[in-house]
Amino acid sequence: MNHHDSTDAVLNPTNLQAQQLSYAVSGKTILSDINFCLERGQVLGVLGPNGAGKTSLLKMLSGQTASHGQVSWRGKALNAYSPLERARQIAVVNQLNENVFALNLQQIVRMGWLPHKTLLSRETKQDHQHLATSIAKVGLSDKTEQTFSSLSGGEQQRGLIARALVQKAALIVLDEPVNHLDIYYQHQILKLLRTLAHQQQITVVMSLHDINLAASYCDHLCILDNGKMAAQGSVENVLQASMLEHVFKIPCQIRRDDVTHNLRVDFYPPNELEARRQPEIVQFPQPNTSDRRDYS
Amino acid sequence: MINKWSALLVLAFLSPVIGIFFGAAELSPTELYQCFVADCATPVNTLIFWEIRLPRVLVGFLVGAGLAVAGATLQNITRNGLADPYLFGVVSGAGLGASIATLLFDSQIGETLNLFGMLPNVSFSLALPVAAFLGAAFAVTLVQALAATSFGGRGENMLLAGVAVSFMLSALSHFLLFLGDPFAANKVIFWLMGSLARVEMWYAWIMLPVVMGSVMLLLLFGRRLDALLLGDENAKTLGVNVTAIRLMALAICAALTACIVAYCGGIGFVGLLIPHIVRRWVGVTSRALIMGCVLVGGSFMVLVDIVARSALSEQEIPIGIITSAIGSVFFLLALRQRQT
Repeated sequence: MNHHDSTDAVLNPTNLQAQQLSYAVSGKTILSDINFCLERGQVLGVLGPNGAGKTSLLKMLSGQTASHGQVSWRGKALNAYSPLERARQIAVVNQLNENVFALNLQQIVRMGWLPHKTLLSRETKQDHQHLATSIAKVGLSDKTEQTFSSLSGGEQQRGLIARALVQKAALIVLDEPVNHLDIYYQHQILKLLRTLAHQQQITVVMSLHDINLAASYCDHLCILDNGKMAAQGSVENVLQASMLEHVFKIPCQIRRDDVTHNLRVDFYPPNELEARRQPEIVQFPQPNTSDRRDYS
Repeated sequence: MINKWSALLVLAFLSPVIGIFFGAAELSPTELYQCFVADCATPVNTLIFWEIRLPRVLVGFLVGAGLAVAGATLQNITRNGLADPYLFGVVSGAGLGASIATLLFDSQIGETLNLFGMLPNVSFSLALPVAAFLGAAFAVTLVQALAATSFGGRGENMLLAGVAVSFMLSALSHFLLFLGDPFAANKVIFWLMGSLARVEMWYAWIMLPVVMGSVMLLLLFGRRLDALLLGDENAKTLGVNVTAIRLMALAICAALTACIVAYCGGIGFVGLLIPHIVRRWVGVTSRALIMGCVLVGGSFMVLVDIVARSALSEQEIPIGIITSAIGSVFFLLALRQRQT
């Protein structure tokens, strides 16, 4: 873990850095001893079982919750930014579960202007152009006048990503962006985020449930287990069957996909894998790791 | 969009003009025109035009605009389309303040107390709106405190807390009126109904700066108020100081409602009805909503006042009765619409 001061940050591409993060709510530890660095334009996937602390970690990284330890963004501690300065750099995409007064897509997306506007400043021609291109980038140009709640889940998610683009954020933090979406939209959203990250050098941090989706679209993975970092690093380094079985409490195997050549994790119902490994003991299988290689 | 706005402007201009034609005394259009451009033909006409008709129309417009804007703002900051200064306890809070002021400054009890020098030497006309504002602010604080603690802060619960506070404060002011001398009670009874009957020109000079100031502030903070529609957490990530904005908006609602309720009583449901119509017709973002509420709310109140003045030939109906009758039906319709 390197320490950077602000002059270093210009030379060093490290953008987002977490040092010794910990977080507790009324005595209960939610996160402890989290450290990592993320370079500019990279996609970080945060994985882990329910209650592992994914949402808490995202909230700290976006400055929504204070924590022990330090998060720094571009070489400056996150809590040294004013809320407005932070909003100019960091966009948060949370699920929008209430839309009471039927705002349309464009009205939601243009709220991204907010951190860049004073009370009196007007909306310029460039603002409107930027708004239009941002909506075009997520492929929703023909739906600008539609009520936000009438859009499909995938379109809503893309709309919120467009808002982050309007916000001109260099870091986009997303809490489970593909939850409740069908497979088509899951891939569409993640591909969009990956493209934005790699083409526009936007850093993306998101929590995901599907390890294989994360493996296909993220550059960097963090696996959280009970508030601790179980593993982190590149996809190739992180995906280890023993670690995943320990964290997710479910048997798995790792293989390389024939088409994409990405690593894939196959999870099996508890007992199923062992049952097949040792067909003679069906009811109470004993896990036997030495057998695993034969079936992989 | 431009057509809609020009239609609204025409409506906002025409309704006061129509309002001036109606009244107990029969003034011909030529006489009224004469009053407006030059001097009235007779002193009676001068009195009717300048002392009765014009103040009534102007104050009516300001009352409608102010209540609609207060309602729209309350709805936006609570993210609940059923919020209204009347349902929210703001009106009954202002009523309580007004009742206390009436008892202290304008009755036997007040004079007795004043003998001991316990009250500041201010005129009743100033004390009334100030007391009403304090009462309204008290109600808002109470609702906020209730909603923030055991009710979990959900919009729905905030509304229910508002209804409870509303009843509590009404009970208090009724009790005070019951204790007070009969003349004071008679004076205060019109708050409970809401009426434009006693309107005088100087009411307009008090309401105008409050309504204009509030509208300007709300327009200035329009984008930030819009962000509140996304939910507090989302608004915070856009750099909005949610607590401060909400507090400011609540203070504005309290001020608007107080200066209206202090002089014209509790005219209910305008703050619920008008924003709904405006959202449908003009738009949901704060700046369009607020401007729309000023124009539609003002026109609506002036037009309803015409009905209040001319429906019964012998006497006029307190306008609050009419707006509550219209509004309560509308409230039920809005409730049903939410469920489907």
